[in-house]
Amino acid sequence: MISPTIKIAPSRFPNEISEIEVIRDLSKCINCGTCAKVCPFGVHERKTGYNRVSKPLSYFCIGSSCEDKPFYCVNHCPRKALSLDISSEYRTIGDYRWTRDLIIGTWKQAETGIPLKGRRYEIGNSGGGFDRISFNFPENEGNRGNNSQLTTHKLEDTDISTEIDLNKREGTKISIRVPFYGGGMSFGSISLSVMLAKAKAARAWGTFTCTGEGGYPEALEEYDDNVITQVATGLFGVMEDTIQRVKIVELKYAQGAKPGLGGHLLGDKVTPEVARMREAISGSSLFSPFPFHSVYSVEDHKKHLDWIKELNPDAIVSVKVSTPTDVDMVAVGSYYAGANIIHLDGGYGGTGAAPDIAKKNIAMPIEYAIPKVHEFLKQEGIRDTMTIIASGGIRTAHDALKAIALGADGVVIGTAELVALGCVRCGNCESGRGCPRGIATTDPELSEAVNVVWGAQRLINLYAAWQGEIVDVLKRFGMMSIKELVGRYDCLIENCEITQD
Amino acid sequence: MPKKYNVEVTLTPPRYIPIGKFEIERGEDCINCGRCAIVCIYEVHKRQDEDLRCMAEPVAYRCKGCFCCIQECPRAALSIKENEEYSRLGDSYWTPEIISTNWYQAETGKIPVSGAGYRGPFSGEGFDSMWTDMSEIVRPTRDGIHGREYISTAVDVGRKLPAIKFDSQGLIASPIPPTLNIPVPIIFDRLPFGGFENVYEAMAKAASYLGTFMIVDAEEWFKGVGRKEMGDGRMAKGERSHLIPYITQPTLHGFDVDWIKTCKMVELEYDEVVLSAINEVKRINPKTIISVRVPFGDNVEELVEELTYAGVEVIHLYADLNGQTFGKSLFIKDMTQNVHRHLVEHKIRDEVTLIVSGGIAMAEHVAKVILCGADLTAIDLPLLFALECRYCKECREVLSCPVELKDVNPQWGTQRIINIIGAWRNQLLEILGAMGLREVRRLRGEVRRAIFFDDIEKETFDNVFVWGGVIR
Ligand code: SF4
Ligand code: SF4
Ligand code: SF4
Ligand code: SF4
Repeated sequence: MISPTIKIAPSRFPNEISEIEVIRDLSKCINCGTCAKVCPFGVHERKTGYNRVSKPLSYFCIGSSCEDKPFYCVNHCPRKALSLDISSEYRTIGDYRWTRDLIIGTWKQAETGIPLKGRRYEIGNSGGGFDRISFNFPENEGNRGNNSQLTTHKLEDTDISTEIDLNKREGTKISIRVPFYGGGMSFGSISLSVMLAKAKAARAWGTFTCTGEGGYPEALEEYDDNVITQVATGLFGVMEDTIQRVKIVELKYAQGAKPGLGGHLLGDKVTPEVARMREAISGSSLFSPFPFHSVYSVEDHKKHLDWIKELNPDAIVSVKVSTPTDVDMVAVGSYYAGANIIHLDGGYGGTGAAPDIAKKNIAMPIEYAIPKVHEFLKQEGIRDTMTIIASGGIRTAHDALKAIALGADGVVIGTAELVALGCVRCGNCESGRGCPRGIATTDPELSEAVNVVWGAQRLINLYAAWQGEIVDVLKRFGMMSIKELVGRYDCLIENCEITQD
Repeated sequence: MPKKYNVEVTLTPPRYIPIGKFEIERGEDCINCGRCAIVCIYEVHKRQDEDLRCMAEPVAYRCKGCFCCIQECPRAALSIKENEEYSRLGDSYWTPEIISTNWYQAETGKIPVSGAGYRGPFSGEGFDSMWTDMSEIVRPTRDGIHGREYISTAVDVGRKLPAIKFDSQGLIASPIPPTLNIPVPIIFDRLPFGGFENVYEAMAKAASYLGTFMIVDAEEWFKGVGRKEMGDGRMAKGERSHLIPYITQPTLHGFDVDWIKTCKMVELEYDEVVLSAINEVKRINPKTIISVRVPFGDNVEELVEELTYAGVEVIHLYADLNGQTFGKSLFIKDMTQNVHRHLVEHKIRDEVTLIVSGGIAMAEHVAKVILCGADLTAIDLPLLFALECRYCKECREVLSCPVELKDVNPQWGTQRIINIIGAWRNQLLEILGAMGLREVRRLRGEVRRAIFFDDIEKETFDNVFVWGGVIR
């Protein structure tokens, strides 16, 4: 299968946030233009007709690695007016989970489609979970088989498959080309353009995106084969037709960011369009109840699944749950209720607004839940018939690979997609008019910022970079398929290094 | 069913310009194009009122760090950095985030909500080394927050009988000890500083509105704030009945006697003769409940056991401001568990009420310390944060307070405290609802509904890392 085309999709902002700031001391600069002549990356420019050199375009500067280059502008400036420093923007952006390098790295990958190498683009600074785990690569990296076997051979990228099966039970077989798909973000919490961009990228990569709880906009119809429709506790926008159109139906019991709590969509975000989709009144806050008030046991749970399978016998069903102490029992219960996928959503991720107390404290992080469920399903003898999908804090291709090595079959990504579209993780998605950067908002003016074609390209690029990195890691492990990595704890090692200040 | 308890919160803006997280600077290259004023939806950028051709100084405290103006400015003239005044707030325990979210809650009465996932470290010290459980499918949850189900946050303070005896006529023969029903598991503790008249008045009014109680140093109250001025003057009778005088030695304070006669609860500092002091107070007012204030120290478990056997009704265990215990420095989360477990092992847990205080900084700490075995908590600094305190401790050095705490308007302060408790209570409901509990009393000591970092880390990764090793 041919991979989708990667096209450079630069940031839509005139000033990209850069790590390095090139400082020109205007009291010393005599506007001789030497720097503009030496720098091959176009940082300095003296526009024709202007006496003064323009403000440096720091984003293109290669930083300290330029120091020993013959063209290092700092050395060339006759008045010693130039210097390099870490930019204050770079110092300010990011947090423990999504460090400045993870955010900027995701932006770069969404721009170029090329995986970024280096620990700082692979690991965050939270000090636990995925950030405490590294890969334990074998000595004979890149070879199939081990030294004791005579059959070792060098692997090529093309030997390696990143395809996973989403249904291991009876019924429709569905596989996706990359071991990840897009998470549920509802129309209302994000704009239609973002939804469409996600759907286009999913189609290009032969994977899925999910509607979230908020209805199925007509514009998504042409992507039916790559859309998962969500049935959540509020049943907003759920209609027989939306269930019959798709290949996968996701029953959302809980979501990691607000486990045990229903969704909120504050009144400001309920525009007439959103209200129509959700069969609600615009301007009024919408609360999804928690839990499904009709489910208090596995038997009730089964009724729900039967109802969906009755409406659409060809669909496979994913059950999305968060991660309580008995998540293993929930997974087994879902299996017996007839689910094809158990989707575990850990607390540290999530895209929409959620109470801080819930995100931080309620339910266990995904890193604990995956091996717990994986082991329990193995013990019960049903691991091979159930697909485990993990989400809630998968930031990079490396997180995805670690989740798989811990026992998942694949992952769902959410925040990483938003970051690819320009999210800075400022957390203001829900206040006032919504996301100031036009991503998590339905404000007509703000949401114009994200154009569907550009957005889709950014996501296609990000997926390409992730896929490239996954292939690379599998190759180093001597694996020909991502399926070989599932539950391979021996591929992981504890890492005690601190990555950033 | 009891009347629904509801905390009425009202937007109560701060008196001073708040300390924002970011600093925004506009450099010399600005051409006053006004683009920033369009892209910033938080109104940081505006034109000067006097001269519309020029941009005004950015109103930086409103900045929410979205980077839009930084990235959109055609001259790249704007820069952003973390506000140092913000990052210097508090200390490593009372972090800038804790202080500022408490300000936010006191202003709005709302639960702090944000998008795009969690931002903090994976886990941490103290309360950050545990998570709370939730229920789904196989166990139902409750929906307390939107009022669809009633979740009670009330606790009973006092001694509870292990069993009730009946006489031959079927009437209750056991003497029933007095108990106090408090609608929130939070009482107000003595303040480490900032105990100005207006502050106390605001606290007392809020306590009375909320139906909770406030511990006051009897001596300080009597002498300083003065019962003439405060107790009998500005404070209404109802508010006075929400005070818990803290008394060191009752015999020495003749002036306390009348007061004790009217108190629902009295707190005594622990010492060897505390039992006779209890008797003395009980003689003055048999109906009052007596709490013994015991520092969390080494072997406190045995002491609590002893006091419980001796019939003490309430024990208030306190740690230092940062939740560290005295003696071997442990954290209240662990010490509370030890004490609770010890009492459970001796089958006397239900006979005594445990109040735990020291380092309760956020709503989640209330839930967590109750999970570890406390019945209720007492808070101090968050009450001052409600009144805009910046925890600079200047007032301790008798320097001037940057927010003039001593001049707060008591009405304003009352509402700010009500707001913060309202927001905390709603967060407690979130935790209880997720766990499927109908009342906070059921949360006490439910350690199996908590996930402790040390345990789960071992349980999970001992298995995972058995193959690998540790690279350092
Ligand atoms: S340091 Fe090098 S890359 Fe950076 S601006 Fe100067 S010449 Fe260009
Ligand atoms: S509001 Fe901030 S965190 Fe939310 S999507 Fe927009 S940029 Fe990202
Ligand atoms: S966008 Fe830049 S140049 Fe325009 S007014 Fe704002 S700071 Fe000045
Ligand atoms: S960073 Fe965002 S919130 Fe802050 S001043 Fe600029 S546009 Fe406004």
